[in-house]
Amino acid sequence: MHEYAIASEIWTAVLAAARRRGGGRVRAVTLELGALNLIEEEQLRFWLQALAERDGSPDLAMRATTLPARVLCGQCGAESETAAPAGEPDHFLLVAPRCPRCGSAEVSVVGGRELRVVSAEVEVHNGDC
Amino acid sequence: MRLFEATGEGTTEIVIGEDIRERHEALAERNRALLRERGVRAFDIAGSVGSGKTSLIAGMVERLSPRRGVGVIAGDVATTHDAERVASKGARKVLQINTGGMCHLDAGLVYRALQEMPESGLEVIFIENVGNLICPSYFALGVEARVAVVSASEGAHVIEKHPAMFQSADLVVLNKVDIAEAVHVDLSRPIADLRALRPGLRVVKTNCLAGEGVGEVLRALRLD
Repeated sequence: MHEYAIASEIWTAVLAAARRRGGGRVRAVTLELGALNLIEEEQLRFWLQALAERDGSPDLAMRATTLPARVLCGQCGAESETAAPAGEPDHFLLVAPRCPRCGSAEVSVVGGRELRVVSAEVEVHNGDC
Repeated sequence: MRLFEATGEGTTEIVIGEDIRERHEALAERNRALLRERGVRAFDIAGSVGSGKTSLIAGMVERLSPRRGVGVIAGDVATTHDAERVASKGARKVLQINTGGMCHLDAGLVYRALQEMPESGLEVIFIENVGNLICPSYFALGVEARVAVVSASEGAHVIEKHPAMFQSADLVVLNKVDIAEAVHVDLSRPIADLRALRPGLRVVKTNCLAGEGVGEVLRALRLD
C-alpha cells in the first residue's frame, strides 16, 4: 500500500502548485508513472481522490501514462525499452532485466522509476474581487 | 466528431513538472548530509513483522554499548514495546516513531526523528523500519546501508516473492536458522535465490535470540 504515500506526495505537490497560481478546486491531475514502481493505478486513484475530497476538490480525475522500463546494455551499448516476458508478472523486471537486443543481463536500469506530476487542471476565478 | 480537452471555461491547466521520486531522493540526501555533519553512521533495518529486526538490533546494541554511543529509531504503526526492549540493552537514546498506519518509514519521517536525536555522543543509529517486506523497498532513507532481515519461518520462496526488497538491500540477515528444520524450510533455496538475484550480496545466518551471528553482522557492517 505504498500507493497512499505516493498519492499523498503527489497531492501535496499539486496543492502547492495550485495555490501558487491562485487556483481553486482541482479538477484533474496528469501523471507519468514509471513501470518499475509497480503502482496499482486504481489504488492510487482511490487515495488521490480521497485526499482531494478532504481538501475541497471532489471528483478529481486522474490521467496517468505508464512510462516503460528502459535499460542501458553494458555489452552492446543499446538503450532500449523492456517489458516483462508474456505471462510473467511485472516484478519480473526487477528480478532479471535483460537487454532486449542482445540478451545480456549486464544492464543498468535508466528509466521506469519516474513518479512525475506533469500538470493539473484547476478552477480559476476571474474578477472575484 | 471532435473531442475537446476538458480545460473548459473557468479552468486552467497548470504545468507542475515535479518528480516525486526526485523530491524523495533530495530528502534522503538531506539525511545523508546531516549524518555526515554529525559524524554518525546510520543503518536501516528492514524486514517482515516477526523476522527478528528488534532482536537483531537489541543484540547489536548490547555488543556495542557502552563502548560506542548507539541510538535507535524504532518505527511502528503503534506501541512502544520495541523501543523499551532496545533501551534496556544500553542504547543511549531510543526514539519511537508511530506511523499511525503508514506501512514504511520515509526520508522525511527519519529527518524529523534525527532532529530529536542528541547532536553529539552518538556514533551509530539503527533505524528499525516498519515490519513490511514490500513498501519500504521503494523508499530510501538516506543512510549508510540497508539490512534486510528475513527469517526461516517466512518460507523457502520468500526471496523470489519479494525481489524489490532484496534488490534494495546491502546486507541480508537470514534469521531463526535454528528453527528451519522444525518449519520444514530448506535454507539452501532462499540462499540460491539471493545468489541469482544479487550475486555479490552478503548473507549472514543468525539466531538473534541466542546472539549467534550477531557479531558477524556487525563485522559485515564494519561496526566491530
